[in-house]
Amino acid sequence: MSWRQGVIVTTALVLLGCYAPTLKGMAAQWWTDEDMSHGFLVPIVIPWVIWRERERWSTLAIAPSWWGFALLASAAGLQLAAALGVGLFAGAVAFLLSIAGVLLCLGGFGWLRAAAFPLALASFMLPKLAVVYNQATLPLQLLASRIAARLLTTAGIGVLREGNILDVGGHRVAVVEACNGIRYLLSLGFLAVMLAYWCDPKPWMRWALLAAAVPIAILANGLRVAGAGWLPSIEAGVPHAVSGCLIFLLCLAILMFFRQLFNRAYACYRN
Amino acid sequence: MKGRTVNKLIVLLAWSAFVSGLNGQIALGPTVDTFGVLAGSTVTNSGLTVVLGNLGVSPGTAITGFTGIAPGGPGLVSGTIHSADALALQAQTELTAAYNAAAGAASTATVAGDIGGLTFFPGVYKSTSTLGITGTVILNGLGNPNAQFIFQIGSALTTATSSSILLINGAQASNVFWQMGSSATLGTNTSFAGNLLALASISLGTGAVIQGRALARNGAVTLLSNTITSPAGLSGPPAPLVTPAPSSLLLVITGLAGVAIYQTRKRLFRSFKFH
Repeated sequence: MSWRQGVIVTTALVLLGCYAPTLKGMAAQWWTDEDMSHGFLVPIVIPWVIWRERERWSTLAIAPSWWGFALLASAAGLQLAAALGVGLFAGAVAFLLSIAGVLLCLGGFGWLRAAAFPLALASFMLPKLAVVYNQATLPLQLLASRIAARLLTTAGIGVLREGNILDVGGHRVAVVEACNGIRYLLSLGFLAVMLAYWCDPKPWMRWALLAAAVPIAILANGLRVAGAGWLPSIEAGVPHAVSGCLIFLLCLAILMFFRQLFNRAYACYRN
Repeated sequence: MKGRTVNKLIVLLAWSAFVSGLNGQIALGPTVDTFGVLAGSTVTNSGLTVVLGNLGVSPGTAITGFTGIAPGGPGLVSGTIHSADALALQAQTELTAAYNAAAGAASTATVAGDIGGLTFFPGVYKSTSTLGITGTVILNGLGNPNAQFIFQIGSALTTATSSSILLINGAQASNVFWQMGSSATLGTNTSFAGNLLALASISLGTGAVIQGRALARNGAVTLLSNTITSPAGLSGPPAPLVTPAPSSLLLVITGLAGVAIYQTRKRLFRSFKFH
């Protein structure tokens, strides 16, 4: 092992040691919160992305920057605030900021640019920001209920909606917090970025598909709730999980269609 | 002055609670409980009415404007339609019993004219003549899911266009009874809650919605593109089922597998090519 590799490994170990409580808290949330359980996959996908771009990394020039220490100091401040009670989210952001700082210190801006996409992917494993989540939950629940009721009515099925409760011929379905669509939103957002990265060389496509994923996920969640209202047999157990996954695959197919659409629009624009 | 008003309110609430305790709970019978619409003479519908519950008539026989019974129509009934059969007769018997129980309950307060804009607490409210609703009437259950509201109306109940009954703090439609000495007429787009127990007829304006029942002892029930949802009885509505999405881990694994198959489709399906 060269001295440079030794420095990298030591820095990584120190970083993991410093942020161990934060990482433990994140892992606990992935384990207990089904909205965030995809967090386990993110640390697996990121090394794969780096490995896939290993040739690019091997050609990068090493030009350490002092700005890295500024980032590390900011991250330390944020981590201190998190430890004093600001919350897990601040600690997790501090962890990502520290990684960026270390990259700047060891390799310079070239390394940071190369790591921009993996760091952006890492944002999908950040804990839920309670302030935003609490504000978004109820409106999303009501939106999913409204969409489901509209879909059922359009299909000629009588439905009565009372807030977040759907009554389909006496069969009642509650669109509770766990049905609000955030799970679809986060999962499809992550997948949209991965799809664009894997299938398309254009970096802007990641943003375009991420934007397209938002309405698709919300509509798909409404469709899922409507399906549960219409067919009580798919409300629980394996049929419920399978139907949820099938609708998610449908979302993926729609995203692929959007990718084609964006590419055609881009080709027209270029010509 | 303010203190006296508060004292009056406390005395009124205490009196309401005391008389409610004396009255006991009024309940519809188990048969009529399953009906969303029940009439004595006819049930007539125009437009896409939806009745969630049973629909029946007894001793009359005529039901028009519903799918499933001649001459048919656009109206939909989630339960079954009963025209002068044994079940409809039993429901009418139970309706009469509930009607008499509601009419005979000791009143806690008197109301008159138009009660739109007022808030009511659990109790028995008596109107010696007609009663009107313009705007919103709030029924506050005070956190008690068994809180009962009985409105004894000497003659007719009439609601203005787009009026509504708002149930708050645990008040349930199944525990609200509107007992009319003659008829009930709900205005266009009224959003109503509770059991309408009319001695004569019930008429619903276009788009009116009832979270409850329209039960007429002797006369007709006339519907016009309405939605009527009969709630469960005093035991409360059945707990709704919850349908959370699969975990995000399962969704992302499914999705990544889908993307992987899409990306390697040419290589993957080459081996299945027939020559």
